[in-house]
Amino acid sequence: MSLLRTAGLKAGYGPVTVLHEIDLEVNEGEIVVMLGANGAGKTTTMRAISGVIPRHGTVYFGDHDITRSSPDAIVRHGIAQVPQGRGTFPELSVEDNLRAGAFVRKRGSDVAADIAKWFAVFPRLFERRTQRAGSLSGGEQQMVAIARALMSRPKLLLCDEPSLGLAPLITKELFEIIAGLNRDEGLSVLLVEQNANLAMHIADRVYLLETGRIVATGSADELSADDTIRKAYLGF
Amino acid sequence: MALFLQRLFDGLSEGSIYALLALGLVIIYRGTGHLNFAQGEMALFCTYIVYQLGEWGVAIGFALALGMVAGFALGAVTEVALVRPVARRSMFAVFIVTIALFRGLNWLDGAIWGDQVLPNSATSKQTQFPSLFSNQPKDFWHILGANITIQSIGILTLVLSLTALLFLLFNKTKLGLAMRAVASNSDSARLVGIPTHRVLMVSWGLATSIGALGGVVFAGVNHTVNLGLMFTVFIYSSAAATLGGFDSPGGAVIGALTIGVVQNMVAGYADQWVGQQMKIGVAFIVIVGVLLVKPSGLFGTAKVERV
Repeated sequence: MSLLRTAGLKAGYGPVTVLHEIDLEVNEGEIVVMLGANGAGKTTTMRAISGVIPRHGTVYFGDHDITRSSPDAIVRHGIAQVPQGRGTFPELSVEDNLRAGAFVRKRGSDVAADIAKWFAVFPRLFERRTQRAGSLSGGEQQMVAIARALMSRPKLLLCDEPSLGLAPLITKELFEIIAGLNRDEGLSVLLVEQNANLAMHIADRVYLLETGRIVATGSADELSADDTIRKAYLGF
Repeated sequence: MALFLQRLFDGLSEGSIYALLALGLVIIYRGTGHLNFAQGEMALFCTYIVYQLGEWGVAIGFALALGMVAGFALGAVTEVALVRPVARRSMFAVFIVTIALFRGLNWLDGAIWGDQVLPNSATSKQTQFPSLFSNQPKDFWHILGANITIQSIGILTLVLSLTALLFLLFNKTKLGLAMRAVASNSDSARLVGIPTHRVLMVSWGLATSIGALGGVVFAGVNHTVNLGLMFTVFIYSSAAATLGGFDSPGGAVIGALTIGVVQNMVAGYADQWVGQQMKIGVAFIVIVGVLLVKPSGLFGTAKVERV
């Protein structure tokens, strides 16, 4: 069953339209990867889904039409985004970053237990829980951003280029964690990547984005089998 | 020794008033990175409202509460109607807007209440601007030869309790966490579902409300209110926030008390070449000195960012 569905999604910045009629779908329990070059509109797609930039078209989440919902209502529905490039709260401690991630949850819900849970998944964050997030390494900050997003107990995690600026080994570790969350928690994931190789391994389905349009879609295997696509986007 | 103590307490007492305005400056700066140039005039407007309520026979405690509510509303409306629309364009535009507000509110005060010192025998029923603390000539404690008025002890206690409350607000409540998150990275704050607009509105409201308290306390000490009441107080408060660090409420209070004490000491002991008339220069020297040596202030945080 489809969890997220956009139809004719258009968005941009001021007079500039970046996305032209994006139709995409993420089913429950899926990891969907969106590939595209710089400037293809990947981040814009993510920001449009989260509702932080003006958008047109329709966005459905489950049975709800969230096209006109505010960003906080969208988080409440169960969509959390890990923004591109260390979108932590640099001046706040690691623990406060996680606590802020639980902002939309009701009073009295067991936030402390969730913090403990994600500290167990990311032991390095537990060691640094009182440090300011801005003083952590790039990989650790990316972990903070992911753990923070998970604190809202999302059904769908939007990950905007988590590999940006990270060493390949750390990227691999992050992807394993994301795949694990999908396997163990049933978390659906929409992952945006420029770096196709690693992302393809965990993807159920792939969308190819080019100058604001979806130009190809299919299972990871199908797209890897297509020679032109492989050469142009996957580089192998 | 007695003279030293006297100057110390006078300084702390004056510093407490600067602290109330400086706290407002810090709350807004933390939230948005803006220096609210109109902080003093917004406080003055609320002080005039409290004066007016006094004219209508409202007791000072209740009038103060209403004045602070009016302050909250004024701050919130300012943020929504004036600051937010231009903040999208540039930081500099916000600065200009707060300067316009500074002039505009002062003009409005003059248009409503006139440019005379209030209360005065011609227009007012009140004989003096009511003080929050008892301030009869006999109301002081005699400590080591110095006379410390109940009023200054009351004001100092008020400021310290308020600082403690703000500390709890910022560090122990969800609203405080949201305010810190918005200050740190407003884009990410929106993505975790914090209604950033509402948080900023509340920040401005809270800041102006505390400023209103500062204005009323200061008018109470002065016994009067007039159009120029907050000019110098605002300058001292900015110096205090600069000294303590623009993003640290505790720092702002310590900065304000320090400035109060230092300027009183300098004016007292160097009265030949500084004296009461020139003591505002001390505040300017502090601002320039701090900006040269430690731009983030004594307790402020230098931005950390790893790329």
